Amino acid sequence: MKKTAWACLFASLLSLPPQAMAFDLGGALKDAVEKNAGDLINDKNSNDADATQAKPEGNSLANINWKSPSKEDEIKLGREIAGNLLGAAPLVKNPALQQYVNRVGRWVASQSERSDLPWHFGVIDSDDINAFAAPGGYVLITKGLYKRLHNEAELAGVLGHEIAHIVQKHQLKVLQKQQLLSLGAGLLSGKVAKGNLAIEKVIGSGAEISARSLDKDAEYEADRMGLILAARAGYDPYGLPEVLSDLADISSNDGSIALLFKTHPAPGERLSALAEATSNTAISLPEGKAVKNRFYKLEDK
Amino acid sequence: MRYFLSASLAAILFASSLAQAESGTALKNDTLRKEPYNDAKTSGQLKRGDKVDIVRKQGAWLQVKSAKTSGWVRLLSVRRAASTGNQAAGVLSVASGRAGTGQVVATTGVRGLTEDELKQAQFSEPETKLLESYSVSAADGAQYAKAGGLKPIKLGYLPKPVATQGENP
Ligand SMILES: [Zn+2]
Repeated sequence: MKKTAWACLFASLLSLPPQAMAFDLGGALKDAVEKNAGDLINDKNSNDADATQAKPEGNSLANINWKSPSKEDEIKLGREIAGNLLGAAPLVKNPALQQYVNRVGRWVASQSERSDLPWHFGVIDSDDINAFAAPGGYVLITKGLYKRLHNEAELAGVLGHEIAHIVQKHQLKVLQKQQLLSLGAGLLSGKVAKGNLAIEKVIGSGAEISARSLDKDAEYEADRMGLILAARAGYDPYGLPEVLSDLADISSNDGSIALLFKTHPAPGERLSALAEATSNTAISLPEGKAVKNRFYKLEDK
Repeated sequence: MRYFLSASLAAILFASSLAQAESGTALKNDTLRKEPYNDAKTSGQLKRGDKVDIVRKQGAWLQVKSAKTSGWVRLLSVRRAASTGNQAAGVLSVASGRAGTGQVVATTGVRGLTEDELKQAQFSEPETKLLESYSVSAADGAQYAKAGGLKPIKLGYLPKPVATQGENP
């Protein structure tokens, strides 16, 4: 009761659009339906666009088993999504930085149940403050967020959150549901023969899926798992909370963090949930290491 | 402006839920600060195991008092005694809780990655190949960790707290 009232106050006082507070899967699915309906109506334009941007993989995505995607399916999808994101913001051209992030990320990912995935980590050239995960082991963090970090434990915590999304297949599950709806929409409009095209379109605009609002519980789960993954790797478990604490200091009016705020619960809420999760358990968190000395500092331009 | 309004409302509403003092224990050594910000002046030190009284919450911070010292400490550095689900709702905290101090975050007008930009993004094969070229093996990751003095430990995942994400209590 109290909580509901709060959510309403929060939304109206900050004049956020209602969907910004709606982290529910239902909302995401509704978006998917509307988008697909649009795609089917605008088939002509879509065809033109497809002709001009032929992809080397051709139609490989059409063969994905949506009912139970294999690991290979997952990686194919993730590659497509990550590649789209990189189309919007390319990698920072700094091999030493990219190698550093891969070493740290790979070690944290190795503490998860999906150490077998081909993990890829990258820092993208954007002043936005955000991080993204795509199925199959693709993790991207913006330069804007990276620059706010102070040590390796904080980096491990942020990457741990994204790794957790992939381990739990959070985005993959949204894509699967979206795909089922897409096929359903095809049947309804009598265009089922174009099913493959619809699949292309869903994934073609897939960069956005990695930033889309997940179920709120999925975000809290990724925080809890990310903290533990970093701790398992030997890092100070408070790295992720430190970053959230720092993000809580940024005004929600700051455009560089708008998307993160829209797609995730407020940092204060996430901290609170983590506090609850760590205080209600008999588990005592290890001290771990912050590893500050070798943290790769990204100088300002 | 809206911000101030929401913060003061928040303060009023929190006051009722925190009418009686809570106590807690420091989970780690941490710095106490005069104000609830990372760059605020230091007002003391908290040692792991120190008992404190919790005066109030603001954003990601707790104002605490101990026999020796007082100040603001990061929320996660203190384990609250007899914590219940309801208190967590209070820390909804209006995103930052820094309103009223006059501290302004630099808004450089940098435009972020918007959803539209992401929707319109085109797949980049060269960038994807470049990303994949930086990957390292599990063994390389482990070796780098070892070089940094990191030791892996066994640790279970944190269970989902019972009351935090529930609908209404
Ligand atoms: Zn997330």
